[in-house]
Amino acid sequence: MKFASEAVEVAAAPQEFYERTLAERWSDGAPVLPATDEAVAALLAHSPYPADHVVGVLPPINGVATVELVAVNAALAGVEPASFPYVLAALDAIMEPEWNAFGLTTTTSSVCPMLIVNGPGRAAAAIDHRAGCMGGAAGRGSMTIGRAVALCLRNIGGQRAGETTKTVFGQPARAGFCFGEWEERSPWPSLAVRRGFAATDDVVTVHGGKGTFPLADIHNDRADDLLRLIAKSTAFPLSNMYLGNPENGEVVIAFNPMWAERFGAAFPDIADLQAYLHEWAWQPIEVWPDANAAILRDRGRVDAAGRVALVSGPEQFLPIVCGGLGSLHAIVLPSFGESQSQSKVVVRPA
Amino acid sequence: MLGLLGMSATIWVRRPTAAPAGEVSAPTHRLDRPLPGLTIGIREDRAWRSWQHIGDVWAAWLDRDGASPRTVETGGQVGVPGSDDRRRIDELAAAVDAAIVGLGTCGSCTTFTVKDAVAVEAAGKPVVAVVCDEFLVHAQNVARHLGHGDLKILALPYPLEARPAADLDDIAAEYYPRVLALLGVTGSPGTAS
Repeated sequence: MKFASEAVEVAAAPQEFYERTLAERWSDGAPVLPATDEAVAALLAHSPYPADHVVGVLPPINGVATVELVAVNAALAGVEPASFPYVLAALDAIMEPEWNAFGLTTTTSSVCPMLIVNGPGRAAAAIDHRAGCMGGAAGRGSMTIGRAVALCLRNIGGQRAGETTKTVFGQPARAGFCFGEWEERSPWPSLAVRRGFAATDDVVTVHGGKGTFPLADIHNDRADDLLRLIAKSTAFPLSNMYLGNPENGEVVIAFNPMWAERFGAAFPDIADLQAYLHEWAWQPIEVWPDANAAILRDRGRVDAAGRVALVSGPEQFLPIVCGGLGSLHAIVLPSFGESQSQSKVVVRPA
Repeated sequence: MLGLLGMSATIWVRRPTAAPAGEVSAPTHRLDRPLPGLTIGIREDRAWRSWQHIGDVWAAWLDRDGASPRTVETGGQVGVPGSDDRRRIDELAAAVDAAIVGLGTCGSCTTFTVKDAVAVEAAGKPVVAVVCDEFLVHAQNVARHLGHGDLKILALPYPLEARPAADLDDIAAEYYPRVLALLGVTGSPGTAS
């Protein structure tokens, strides 16, 4: 197989190789695996596209992401060859204009691509969707697919904190963030099915998320009360959604399976649950000091009852089901706002 | 591949990095005319009150100096607000003789300031992107990677937010002649106060 990317001679000894990757700035600071021709070829064998196929152009430096170069980065991350199509699907989603990659890769915000995987291939790909799915479960798919995408942004897109990206804090998920929905425990159609994909499709949804915002409750057994509190918690006063356009962006809410069961009984149709979340995701204008309140009023964000809704419509809430069975937690993935999540089917070779 | 006797073994790997785009710069444009009779666009940003203040001051002075200011306010990056904003920037580029586009004082707003300025430049009009100095290098990077490495960029002090109006007036006065010079205005405009 002929490669277009440059061949570089490096030390084979792990410690020396690691030092070299740091010097070359190929990694995120943690060790990576050598992208040998054998490793890259194994990944390319699972690509539905030829090596020279251009997946897209990745900002900030507008580097050209060929399938081969993506495979080189996937090799660094240790992606299992059969899982390589997940990386390609995620990058395809990121490069959709409405995901706003140029904005999100350069912002002062902590936002990063958060990958949510649906479909029958999750278990085989070791994409975590049960206990510890957002960190700690150690599934190879979750850890390597997310990291491969992050390395592509760094090495192909040139995203480097303090240089090409102005992120103030960053966040741990900037080293990679990928988990699955526990569809089998969801009382509702999966996120991918709700977006028009077949249940048999493997699908990657990329959300521009600012972090993992944990919620907990042990004092209320009523589904509607608990959902009301969850909705209120998403509408925190310094959310990005109160800075920009309320019709842009989505709020992902991950329910543990036990809570999902409770909520599913009360709201069998997820559209009703989304409408209920929207009904309660607001704060009274009095929460904000005068200067903020004046701007919210000026922008028409305050309704006749003095409520300031977090978002424009119920469809901007994206409930999903995942995590362990501890029946007291939910996690919100707040939006950057000026970004629309994108879903792409995982395409495998014919 | 094994190295020479006594040296560490080596292997060959593939370089994972891509070359940056935009090494060739698009042409820039200058007015090379005096202000009277010109239409000058100003792109303000709904997010930045300080820049609205400075933009409004400059608009008043442009009017005083014989030009017709035309201000648009942006605030969207995606969705309907984003596409509406990009359309209005294109309309602005078509309608004016030159434009002043700001403000880059965060990461994504700098990116979109430069992108909108590039849209004006691509329409063949003189343009200045206005950013705060903390974001100057980022703006230069974005312009270069968009193939407009010679885009004229004016750096204002940082931060502008939380300054009293009198400070903003002083900054407006100090930088008004500079932005006109970057646009290529001839004569002696820019006696700001």
